[in-house]
Amino acid sequence: MSKKQTPSVDPVVIVMLGVVFVAVAAAMIAFQPDSNSINIATDAGTMSQLLVAFVTGITTGGLSCLAVQGGLLASSLAHQIEQDYVQHAATTKKAKAAPRSNSALPIALFLLAKLVAYTLLGALLGWLGSYLTLSPLTRAFLMIAIGIFMIGNALRMFNVHPIFRYFSIEPPKFITRYIRRTAKGTDTATPIFLGLLTVFIPCGVTQAMMATALGTGSALMGAALMLAFTLGTSPVFFVVAYLATELGSKLEKFFMRFVAVVVLILGLVTLDGGLNLMGSPLSLQNMTRSWFPSQTEANAVADSPGTAITDEIILNVENEGYFPTTLKAPAGKDLTLSLITDQTYSCARDFVIPALNYYELLPDTGTVQVTIPAQKAGSTLFFTCSMGMYTGQIVFE
Amino acid sequence: MIKKTFKVSDMTCSNCAMKLESLEDTLEGVKEINASYHRLEMVIEYDETKLNEEQIIMAVKKKGYTATAA
Repeated sequence: MSKKQTPSVDPVVIVMLGVVFVAVAAAMIAFQPDSNSINIATDAGTMSQLLVAFVTGITTGGLSCLAVQGGLLASSLAHQIEQDYVQHAATTKKAKAAPRSNSALPIALFLLAKLVAYTLLGALLGWLGSYLTLSPLTRAFLMIAIGIFMIGNALRMFNVHPIFRYFSIEPPKFITRYIRRTAKGTDTATPIFLGLLTVFIPCGVTQAMMATALGTGSALMGAALMLAFTLGTSPVFFVVAYLATELGSKLEKFFMRFVAVVVLILGLVTLDGGLNLMGSPLSLQNMTRSWFPSQTEANAVADSPGTAITDEIILNVENEGYFPTTLKAPAGKDLTLSLITDQTYSCARDFVIPALNYYELLPDTGTVQVTIPAQKAGSTLFFTCSMGMYTGQIVFE
Repeated sequence: MIKKTFKVSDMTCSNCAMKLESLEDTLEGVKEINASYHRLEMVIEYDETKLNEEQIIMAVKKKGYTATAA
């Protein structure tokens, strides 16, 4: 008589919803623009970076964790929960009405430990990053490497070619063996320990986020970034831990495809950002701009008088990017580029001209002038934000 | 003790390799299992007096994979 019993309102679901609400509430507190209590959130550029980390966590990060950690860790926890339930049902006649507080606790402890571990890891990476001066070009190479890694992983998930299997990092055997044997335990310390150990088997998206934490060059920012990201992954991981017992491998296969598509898109975007940061004409944005030159130049003339051929050119740095995106300038003589910000808080403020190795964090409101040395007629100088998101060009004629 | 290699072509990630290696703890007669997602294979060292190929293939099947002797 081993009929499986399913309570109508599962405490796991309740706690899961609790984690979702806490995560959303924490995000809202951390990311509100007028918040003075949290120092690191007062800068809107930082705020948007943390928001991106959180959203990445709640979408692809959580799903990617499902692909890498979910099978072993979540199912171990789910198995533990199942055992708790069976034991409870065997000892209690009113099994259906009895609360299963013990079943939800391991997952909550696991997620909490994971959150603490990754926050500390973020602090460590940020601290290490503070000793490395990452130039825009170094960051460009880092982004390109991360992009290739993500694209390779997506192609691996699609099973395109055996070579892509090498994009999956296999943790050392002694670590996986240790984790597996620890997972057998049923005491309270086990899920905490398992949560801490997940730092040794990070998924592809987590590894990309770790690289970003390294790039922040600040222990506080690195910790905040990894905290936001891991907080985002928590609700998804909780759902996985719960559903692992209900849907098993069917869910995993469905999500694997979805994760592959999302990781592929993110990989391409990251790669393109890296190419932008290098000032490469081969980036998607720079290529498409040159495919439709008349439109962008026409817009440029209409948007700003600074596009006229004079010794000074004006570029408006706005929250949505650079306007106009194409500037015309006289060749063969030095000129001044005036960068105008007006309550600009996006990453567009982090202005980069890769070819000149120029990088400047602009004030949120004000004007910064840059001297551009004489360029050959017919040449193009690309500029971008430090994340390779917003781009533009100066065409010399 | 004998060491044999099995091809497991339906592994999809390194987690599958970890799942297969967990047979170390449940399958009697096994000394060590080294599974690789990169090579889609698992090398198992076991006591042939306690375990045979068919039992290994069946145990792998229970984990959701198909093993064939290499």
